[in-house]
Amino acid sequence: MSEARRTRVIRTDYLARVEGEGAMYVKLDGREVAEVKLRIYEPPRFFEALLRGRAFTEAPDITARICGICPVAYQMSAVRAMEDACGVAIDAGPLRDLRRLLYCGEWIESHSLHVYMLHAPDFLGYAGAVEMARDHREIVEQGLQMKKAGNAVMALVGGREVHPINVRVGGFYRAPARAELRTLVDPLERARETALATARWAATLEFPDVQRATELLALSEPDRYPIDLGRIRSDGGLDIAPAEFDAHVVEEHVEHSNALHARIRERGTYLTGPLARYALSFAQLRPLAREAAREAGLGPVCRNPFQSIVVRAVELVQACDEALALIDGHVEPDAPAVEVIPRRSVGHGATEAPRGLLYHRYEIDDDGTILDAKIVPPTSQNQLAIEEDLRAVVEAGLDLPDEQLSLRCEQTIRNHDPCISCATHFLKLTVDRG
Amino acid sequence: MVEGDVVAAEAVADDPAPVTGQPAVVVIGVGNALRRDDGAGLAVARRLGAGVNAAGAPGGAAIAVLEYEGEPLGLLELWNGARAVVLVDAIRSGAAPGTIHRVDVSRAPVPALLRGSSSTHAVGVGEAIELARELGRLPERVVVYGVEGACFDAGEGLTVEVTEGVDSLANAVMREAEGLAA
Repeated sequence: MSEARRTRVIRTDYLARVEGEGAMYVKLDGREVAEVKLRIYEPPRFFEALLRGRAFTEAPDITARICGICPVAYQMSAVRAMEDACGVAIDAGPLRDLRRLLYCGEWIESHSLHVYMLHAPDFLGYAGAVEMARDHREIVEQGLQMKKAGNAVMALVGGREVHPINVRVGGFYRAPARAELRTLVDPLERARETALATARWAATLEFPDVQRATELLALSEPDRYPIDLGRIRSDGGLDIAPAEFDAHVVEEHVEHSNALHARIRERGTYLTGPLARYALSFAQLRPLAREAAREAGLGPVCRNPFQSIVVRAVELVQACDEALALIDGHVEPDAPAVEVIPRRSVGHGATEAPRGLLYHRYEIDDDGTILDAKIVPPTSQNQLAIEEDLRAVVEAGLDLPDEQLSLRCEQTIRNHDPCISCATHFLKLTVDRG
Repeated sequence: MVEGDVVAAEAVADDPAPVTGQPAVVVIGVGNALRRDDGAGLAVARRLGAGVNAAGAPGGAAIAVLEYEGEPLGLLELWNGARAVVLVDAIRSGAAPGTIHRVDVSRAPVPALLRGSSSTHAVGVGEAIELARELGRLPERVVVYGVEGACFDAGEGLTVEVTEGVDSLANAVMREAEGLAA
């Protein structure tokens, strides 16, 4: 070392409890944060290539395999896009309700996994769910019980618990009977009670005082909380149809990552996911969920990513309550699917995966052959916002010991529940203190 | 490494009630078929599934073979009620590609080489096992076969090194399952 300044390097083998693997690098120049580089997400280019030349009806099955946690989200964006290309819109009625019910199941499954198994240990001071289970068995059991309720919905409506096969362009292969759906009522009612308790519990956790000004972007509908369709809106004034997504959001290749970073054209970074949905559609929450939010001390907007655990708990209440309402009001469809006839066209689909907006665009030929495919997952869109969060967290935590700073960085990434199952390598967290 | 292990003859008193229809032994191939060698466990399960279907399950319905591509906590439901489970998964520990690791984790904790490995899931298979142990939801016997993968990039098909080991691994896994079912 020729200078008084030394470089210290901190590494962790991988970032635990984030889906998949990735890498993070922070460089400090004195007390300045010189560089933050996050390499956590590889866009699904392989799948886009795999889709070309396949039949338009295959898109939901193929894309469902991109993520082990949110196969339904991929299916739903795919079927919406294909139906759009073919001039079909399932915007109301029993088929749409069944899709929403299925999607609620996935939200319950995914959010309960994140809230209880991945995020809770951060706040309670455990390395992970296994260590937490020794002292807080009831928390883990609650999480598993809720997750099971979500799985039950996905298994019945989607056909199978993972990578459901019952979804098709135009609807379903088989619509569940009303009596079958009634079997979901008991587990969903229990899950709803647990979700309410979870929101109350999450509100008691201690949160770092962080407020982020990032533009929030989500689907939006006039009278329903966004899940399966809607216009794309932001709190910065964006209000576009899914077909206009490409014109307003640009994806840029960045050197340090295989990922493409998404930005709103001429504006920059934005965040999609629970905080965005909540802020843009607070008024559309079901009354029970809105009450849970109030009781948890949340205002109509939450800009602290650490508090996303509370927002996810509110969305768990929302998803359970809506699933029960959908079952209660269910009318069996005349047919499990409507006919969708291919034509040479381009179609767009956007839905709300548990971790944020998921956009698909397909170009198909007259016979339904896929000519081109583009998939923009939520984590790809959130990567820049996460980097900016990290920069702020590092700047605020310069005096923390390396180990604590590393942990705070990991938590900052986990706040956004990034799906990095397609990441290229193990996550290594490196902090260079210049 | 587990020579001399004795299979517990009777169920522990506080075991969860057996699930009706659950076979005594469940073989689960875990992985993702579209991440190259991460599909090794699935390939083994598929090979066994084909064999079992052709010849009839050894010992009647005592052994079930499953492929599982979901997130690992779902395993707790898959093995619920079974007396024993054999898991087959791809791992990345630095050994030569195609190397087979066999670990009996019925009593001993899951070793580091199987934890936080190449798992593409939120909670790894190793963590799912340890969580189940903590909650008393682990079958009496749990044996993990880890196949050292060479490539986990997006793509179809196993690498040559891993493909060459699938048949012999499938045989070893079935012998293990038969032994556990006996």
